[in-house]
Amino acid sequence: MIKRRTFLKTTLGTGLALSAPWVARAQTRELRIQTWEGYTEPEWLKPFEEANDVVCRVNFTTSDDDLFTKALASKGGDFDVFALNTALIPRYVANSLYLPIDPSRLTNFEKLAPAFHDNALTVVDGEVRSLPFAWGSNPLIYDQDYFTEAPDSWGVLWDPALDKQVMMVDDSSSVISVAALYLGYEDPFNLNADQYAEVKRILIEQKQILLTYYAGFADGVSLFAQNGVKAMYSMGEPQVKELQAQGVNAALTIPKEKATGWLDGWMLSPSCRDVDLAYAWFDACLSQATGKIMTEKLGYGNTTDLDANAAAGLDYADKLVWFQLAPDTEYRTQLWNEIKAA
Amino acid sequence: MMNPVSRISLFVLVALVPSVFVLLPTIAFVANSFFAVENGQIVPTFTLSNYAAFLQQPEYWGVFVNTLGLCLQVSIICLVFGLPVAWFIWRLPERNRYPMLFVVILPLFMSYVVKLFAFRSILGLNGFLNQLLVASHLIDKPQMAFLFSRDAIVLTQASMFFPYMVLPIFLNLERIPHSLTQASSDLGASAGMTFREVVLPLTMPGVVAGLVFVFIMSLGDYITPQMVGGMMGHTFGRVVWSQFGVTFNWPLGASFGVVLVLVCAALVGAVGMTSRQQRI
Repeated sequence: MIKRRTFLKTTLGTGLALSAPWVARAQTRELRIQTWEGYTEPEWLKPFEEANDVVCRVNFTTSDDDLFTKALASKGGDFDVFALNTALIPRYVANSLYLPIDPSRLTNFEKLAPAFHDNALTVVDGEVRSLPFAWGSNPLIYDQDYFTEAPDSWGVLWDPALDKQVMMVDDSSSVISVAALYLGYEDPFNLNADQYAEVKRILIEQKQILLTYYAGFADGVSLFAQNGVKAMYSMGEPQVKELQAQGVNAALTIPKEKATGWLDGWMLSPSCRDVDLAYAWFDACLSQATGKIMTEKLGYGNTTDLDANAAAGLDYADKLVWFQLAPDTEYRTQLWNEIKAA
Repeated sequence: MMNPVSRISLFVLVALVPSVFVLLPTIAFVANSFFAVENGQIVPTFTLSNYAAFLQQPEYWGVFVNTLGLCLQVSIICLVFGLPVAWFIWRLPERNRYPMLFVVILPLFMSYVVKLFAFRSILGLNGFLNQLLVASHLIDKPQMAFLFSRDAIVLTQASMFFPYMVLPIFLNLERIPHSLTQASSDLGASAGMTFREVVLPLTMPGVVAGLVFVFIMSLGDYITPQMVGGMMGHTFGRVVWSQFGVTFNWPLGASFGVVLVLVCAALVGAVGMTSRQQRI
């Protein structure tokens, strides 16, 4: 039988032994990272931790809304660095939820490829607000068994010959932007009243031949595969791989009118506790080795190793219009509801 | 006997969970519906403009009215099929009654999303229904017509919410003493007449409960219409949904949510009042 005293001793001892690493860790440096899943893979996180004798506390973002409300509530106090879609930077700037980044403190800043080094979304009036890290696009996905060569225009999504064989996604900003691109408007995120009227007209016209607006990433893939769809607006490159896995001879193309793309970057929180450490993390992320691994492992475009991008077929960053926050998102949502109710 | 102090603390403890996790969020959500969005930030003021937007813009209230019509259709179809099924199960010998009831409610054990995808693969172009019809030479090539229509939404929702109609009706039937139906037939009534004059009036509370259940579930379901409705899949739940995410117009979305809650509450209230008046 275990005596009470023995039990207490053992419990206490085990408890201490188990908590020892935390006690020890409390003395090392700590970096709090708020990010989308995939941007803190062990391939670059572990070496960073070892090289800087630091413990990273990673928190995954579940949605842009969540992150913004969380950042607003704590003035960024919950994290030191965070990954954010560059489209949303203005929202954080308006609420002082960022710190400008000093590129001279980074050894790898010059490694950024030209399209990302002087990006208009991340460098404003000479102030570096975000460090581009990963990107992807919204290409046109098509069935190669039907199209002998890649369609060169978004017009296929309006082609009456493809009645009930084309799809769009159920998302106001995507649909309105791609319609604006198809109409040849330079800046699909800043439209005037006439342009909106025209966008609305062609989107209502398109409803005649659309199979459906698909609801999400996997939904688009399963609908495409099950219903003989020939072409769709894509939520991202990985849809092609998943379609191929389901036996569809799918491929992607960036039409001549260009396509939209997303660009995520690292930002510095105004409540950062250890700025030197944050810069070290940025340098680790901007190294070409990190970019290469990310592209090879996850299929996202990187911003430093263009050869790795090209090897993965991601050679079209210059044909993309990066997503921006339209100044009138509420109007766009209303327009989208009008289009769907029409 | 418990002393008053521990009784009160126990009450506080028990009341704490629902108030923190249900009441507070609900209050926050109602409060949000009176707020406004300025420069991409939610400003806590008091405005009725969100509700005005709902009433003024036909792309909101028009869709809402359409959605109510859809839900009504689903509820009635569930009733037309659910009532006979419940009655049939109730008439079964006791040995078979509960296994049969279990079969009817079995789909409730399956995830909602799985059922949706199942319906999509049954109705789709390369789906089971098309394969069956082609194999039996009823049609010569697969048709896209079964999926992505208003009918597809009604069919899918009616199938998914069917058990919620059968259960309350069955439970109600169970409370009818068999002596009543026996007396009815002893007095010379046919089976049909007994059903019409005795069973049906006594079943009304179950019918009403079933209708309310199905209607409310159908009203709150914004995924099924999107998944199987195609161009017809734009329902009010989707309009609410569209105010979140990038739009970040939580106040407008919240006001639409309040409208939904009010309509549901009014429905339940009206049904409660009529059933009290009719003593059913």
